[in-house]
Amino acid sequence: MVNFTIDQIRALMDKVTNVRNMSVIAHVDHGKSTLTDSLVSKAGIISSARAGEARFTDTRQDEQDRGITIKSTAISLFFEMTEEDLPDIKQKSDGASFLINLIDSPGHVDFSSEVTAALRVTDGALVVVDCVDGVCVQTETVLRQALGERIKPVVVINKVDRALLELQVTKEDLYTSFQRTIESVNVIIATYNDKVLGDVMVYPEQGTVAFASGLHGWAFTIRQFAQRYSKKFGVDRSKMMDKLWGENYFNPATKKWTTKSTDANGKPLERAFNMFILDPIFKLFDSIMNFKKDVAFAMLEKLDIALKNDEKEMEGKQLLKTVMKKFLPAGEALLEMIVIHLPSPVTAQKYRVENLYEGPQDDECAKGIASCDPNGPLMLYVSKMVPTSDKGRFYAFGRVFSGTVRAGLKVRIQGPNYQVGSKTDLFVKSVQRIVLMMGRYVEPIEDCPAGNIVGLVGVDQFLLKSGTITTSDAAHNLKVMKFSVSPVVQVAVECKQASDLPKLVEGLKRLSKSDPCVLCFTSESGEHIVAGSGELHLEICLKDLEEDHAQVPIRKSDPVVQYKETIQAESSVTALAKSPNKHNRIFMKAAPLGEELSLAIENGKVGPRDEFKARARVLSDEFEWDNQEARKIWAFGPDANGANLMVDLTKGVAYLNEIKDSCVAAFQWATREGVFAEENMRGCRFNILDVVLHADAIHRGGGQIIPACRSAIYAAAYVAQPGLMEPVYLVEITCPEQAMGGIYGVLNKRRGHTIGEEQRPGTPMYIVKAHLPVAESFGFTADLRQATGGQAFPQSVFDHWQLMNGVSNEDPKLIEKILSIRKRKGLKEEIPPLDRFLDRL
Amino acid sequence: MSNSLSGPSNFADDGSAVIARQLDVHHSRLASEAQNKIKECSDIYEIERTVGVIADRGYKRIALQFPDDLLPDSGLVAQLIRDQTNSAVFILADTSYGSCCVDEVAAQHISADAIIHYGRSCQSPTSRLPVIYVFGKQPVDVSDCATAFDGFFSKDKSQKVILMYDVIYAHCIDRLLGTLKTDMDYTNIIKSRVETESNLGYVLSSQDPSSNCCQKKESTSCCSGNSGCNKATRCQNGSAHTNGSSSCSDPGACSKSTSTSSLTQNASAPIEDEATKNSNSKRRKFGRTYDLPEDAKIEDYTIFYVGDESPTLSNIMMTHSQCEVYSYNPEKKEGRLESAQVNRALMRRYFLVQKAKDADVIGIAVGTLGVASYMTMIQHLKALIESKGKKAYTFVMGKLNVAKMANFMEIDCFVYVACPENSLIDSKEFYRPIVTPYELEIALSKSREWTGEYVTDFQQLLPDEDKIGVDKVKISQHQLDAASDVEEGASDYEADSDEDEKPHFSLVTGTFKQSKKFTTNKEDSKELSELLEGTKDLTVRDKNTSVATLMSSAAGEYLNSRQFRGLEVKLGETPVELATEGRAGIARGYNSEAGYIDREKEKY
Repeated sequence: MVNFTIDQIRALMDKVTNVRNMSVIAHVDHGKSTLTDSLVSKAGIISSARAGEARFTDTRQDEQDRGITIKSTAISLFFEMTEEDLPDIKQKSDGASFLINLIDSPGHVDFSSEVTAALRVTDGALVVVDCVDGVCVQTETVLRQALGERIKPVVVINKVDRALLELQVTKEDLYTSFQRTIESVNVIIATYNDKVLGDVMVYPEQGTVAFASGLHGWAFTIRQFAQRYSKKFGVDRSKMMDKLWGENYFNPATKKWTTKSTDANGKPLERAFNMFILDPIFKLFDSIMNFKKDVAFAMLEKLDIALKNDEKEMEGKQLLKTVMKKFLPAGEALLEMIVIHLPSPVTAQKYRVENLYEGPQDDECAKGIASCDPNGPLMLYVSKMVPTSDKGRFYAFGRVFSGTVRAGLKVRIQGPNYQVGSKTDLFVKSVQRIVLMMGRYVEPIEDCPAGNIVGLVGVDQFLLKSGTITTSDAAHNLKVMKFSVSPVVQVAVECKQASDLPKLVEGLKRLSKSDPCVLCFTSESGEHIVAGSGELHLEICLKDLEEDHAQVPIRKSDPVVQYKETIQAESSVTALAKSPNKHNRIFMKAAPLGEELSLAIENGKVGPRDEFKARARVLSDEFEWDNQEARKIWAFGPDANGANLMVDLTKGVAYLNEIKDSCVAAFQWATREGVFAEENMRGCRFNILDVVLHADAIHRGGGQIIPACRSAIYAAAYVAQPGLMEPVYLVEITCPEQAMGGIYGVLNKRRGHTIGEEQRPGTPMYIVKAHLPVAESFGFTADLRQATGGQAFPQSVFDHWQLMNGVSNEDPKLIEKILSIRKRKGLKEEIPPLDRFLDRL
Repeated sequence: MSNSLSGPSNFADDGSAVIARQLDVHHSRLASEAQNKIKECSDIYEIERTVGVIADRGYKRIALQFPDDLLPDSGLVAQLIRDQTNSAVFILADTSYGSCCVDEVAAQHISADAIIHYGRSCQSPTSRLPVIYVFGKQPVDVSDCATAFDGFFSKDKSQKVILMYDVIYAHCIDRLLGTLKTDMDYTNIIKSRVETESNLGYVLSSQDPSSNCCQKKESTSCCSGNSGCNKATRCQNGSAHTNGSSSCSDPGACSKSTSTSSLTQNASAPIEDEATKNSNSKRRKFGRTYDLPEDAKIEDYTIFYVGDESPTLSNIMMTHSQCEVYSYNPEKKEGRLESAQVNRALMRRYFLVQKAKDADVIGIAVGTLGVASYMTMIQHLKALIESKGKKAYTFVMGKLNVAKMANFMEIDCFVYVACPENSLIDSKEFYRPIVTPYELEIALSKSREWTGEYVTDFQQLLPDEDKIGVDKVKISQHQLDAASDVEEGASDYEADSDEDEKPHFSLVTGTFKQSKKFTTNKEDSKELSELLEGTKDLTVRDKNTSVATLMSSAAGEYLNSRQFRGLEVKLGETPVELATEGRAGIARGYNSEAGYIDREKEKY
């Protein structure tokens, strides 16, 4: 069944200009995997008859069972362009054969991290939008992410068959619906567009929008119809494409084109799109579904579609599918769009290098990436780990950005914490084998040049989830991926039999390898915690843990959420803390950092690795900091990169440098374990106002300064209206009108807060948007189903940290919350009093 | 569950606490009215028994060790003993470590022949001197205790129960047992025993095995010279002391001491032998022995503990985590189930094990100079740490406190070698975690895994002498093999070194942790000396990495990671300034500070 051999693919890999790396992204259930199947069928790996049912890229049993994609899956496709189409490719290319590396990604928000990992290794994205549902919350999320990675989008409006068969819309309605969807996509693109990428909005008349039915295996772009009609009308194809969309009408009487919707007599004219594109489709649908076979066959003849004898026997939907597939083969249209409009690695890496590479833009590695040079130093980014059939071992899945990787090559494996010149997180090892990832199968290959996606064997033991692989000593890391979801929901797991503990630990390791987002660790109270982005994510992770990774029976606790400690005002008094020997004192005040800056830090816009002068400029320009103060940031914390800052505002203190390390250590500690609930702090700025130090160095060592600085930080936060932040989901619920009451009931009960409600144009469905505290979200989906008779479908994605009402040490509700957290953590069930931290002169 | 530590807390107080600190001294009951004092004292402090033992053994110089709360009676006790034995009696002052441990070092300052230890004791075996324990007797309402017992176990009178108790209640435990067995018909109760003397028969107990091990050392000849030396001196010490102490005139003491010695050996057998030991019915855990019937397992037993909350109880619960523990508090006269929190405590320790796993530089804090074979333990830990390519430092710092420990920021984790009751330290407030030797073993050694079983007594961790020998031979053999492999270029070696270099999955952070290697093997030092030879008086050093990286030493690397690396000469960069007047006054409040003026006013 395979139409192409590995050798063919390997040959194509060398012609990088003819490679397209792209991901398929969309909201859940918009039909990515099904659509991917039709592409795969075109490339010839599964028989075209089963396209639309098999879902080749859903490799796991539970994916098949649940009907959702959980892991992103890569597959290589081969596409041959016709000679006459080649000039349409506006970038450099070489010959008519193209290699398309496609990654199918999950649509459920809980698995967004998989999308991020997929986007990193691709240059273009096929955004799939359901023509009935339109642009949904996850469509926006993934599109935003794609643009953030400088990935060029093209759009497919999918499930057109649904509109025709189920909703029975008119042609003009369908057109407006298409137009609306495209507009919404373009609004998002315009909002998040990166100037470097140029204009990446999508236009049907340019062929960057396709209309498809993944299930039936057909798709078209305006380009294809233009091709048919340009011959007929004798018009240039590109001109024809312009005419086939928007306010262009054809007057059949005068055989003239016009931009007015009425003719000279005021009689309404039919839109060209409706007339030339939708009309034949509608007619085919109508004739076949209403069993007017003779009409249909007449049309087929006109359209040059030849049916085989047995196909002629078919009826209804089956016949429709066969006919449409022959009329408008999906693979053809989509692959053509991908090849023409998505950038090749050579094109893309030129502008992506800035975003990808942490080091200077003029070193050999940056140059190698920018030119996609197979002879440059190897630069490979491992974006995720894919389990092998060998238990506990993984393929490191990634993209070669520069150089060539081959089996046996000795490479430097740089983990996320590697810094040039240091030895931390660095291993020098050989790549054992390299493979091509093909959905359920892998194919070994000899080597892989820049611009391609590849799987490595033998590096999985040195990287947990992702990392950089290079041959150059001077290479900096490729930038670490930023996930749009964070592991805010946790459960504690334990094995049912104590003797299984080693297996559980090994299982946790494997689990955290196999998922880009999940976090497995031990809490201070000794519990094994698995943290995921949502309930579904956790459910899948725990299932994997129990069945695949650990293979021992486990027990899990109820899910809990993480909170953040913060402050709501400047410290009311200057906090003073003395060292244990009383000879040193630290004066400190805390002030809120502001939500914008906190976000900027969390999104990596402002970070500890920035050059301090540049950072000071950003802070003073955008966040109204004093430039001098902004240059004196001592540390970010916790974990040296969190959204809390320690700033040195002292003047003329001798030996201050000497205690900096101790203070930073104390700051990291204190921000990791806040004063009230020992949760991470967030959004706090600690200003060291003055320091008094003992003249003798032995009396101002770490032993004195760390405790003093820690209590100064606690005291400063204590008197600054301390508060607690909780994670909040953005929930989008799609439902019919009559179910709305139920939704509001459930939301109210769970402290939800509606922020918007709109009717999906052209459908009876409503979309309710709401903020819902993560802590209240457990069992939300089930509750909602019950309250609405299964008619409402929620999608929740972590949105922001929200300040809870009240002050941590005053508000009784908050105190209760804090005490319950302390209890869970096995801490003393009382809020430590202020005078434990605050000293007096 | 863990010891709370005295000494300055990390959060500064105003200092008055030290002076105003009230020690919880409850000497009232121990020595009350003047007229009864002598009689009571001799009763409570078991003067008669101690005097008897001293007379029997002919000890000439006796050291008395009192915990703080019993110090008021010390004079009288010393006087009584002196009067009745004609020996020189010394009262030891403040102990360096916990008062539950026998302070042998202090006793050796006065070349004592024996120590009498008063009050609560952790019963850690000592290495040098004979010890007589006097626990003091606290009253227990036996019938109430029995009723409480009955409340827990009345359902099944044949339930297997081990009776344990705080040493101060040792005197009445036989009565309790009697009550339970005869009056209440419990059939399967086992009593644990505590020792009241130790090392009295030194000739029998310690000389044999140590001479034995000396021989073994010679035969294997791969123990480090240092530890061998130590052993030898200790042997001599032992014999010197025991020579004077007669040759077991008292048959009872003799038999007791033999049993002790056999038990000690038993206890120091490694955990792996636990299974075989099960068949051996005698068990010993921190000075407590109990006999299990032949086919019984400890898991089948429930523990009933008489005494209030104390490190002893925590210890028993930690080490018997597979058993249910009930306790009876004789002071409050109430009983309760204790096991509930023990799992939490154990899990907290589990977290510390994970932290220890991630540590690259480990500090060995010595918390005892009395517990037998602590030196061996330290050597053992050092060897363990270094075998993993990590760096070990040894600290002797008396009682731990936060400020002291935080002075060593380069240490990632401390391991505390102390008596069982003092080694469980809640290191929450400490900058770095403090673990027990057992926890470090689990963290570093592949052969041990966390099973929920817990050992606080580090002597159970020490491998047998001959085992060490075998291991060492194995290791050197292995090294040889590895070396030959390299020559042959065999791939086995590659895989082997891979195993070592692989990062491990850290459960603290949930990421991979690459262990740093601070090698100390010969090849490296050879390399180093060659390098140093090549170094001339003036060497160009590169910008950030100075000599430190070259040696790949822990301290060097730490220095490199610091922002402050000593004063820097910034010639011409610092503007010239006139000298200004500095601060005056004392640290509690300098003259320039706000509070100063008020205080000055107060003076007048």
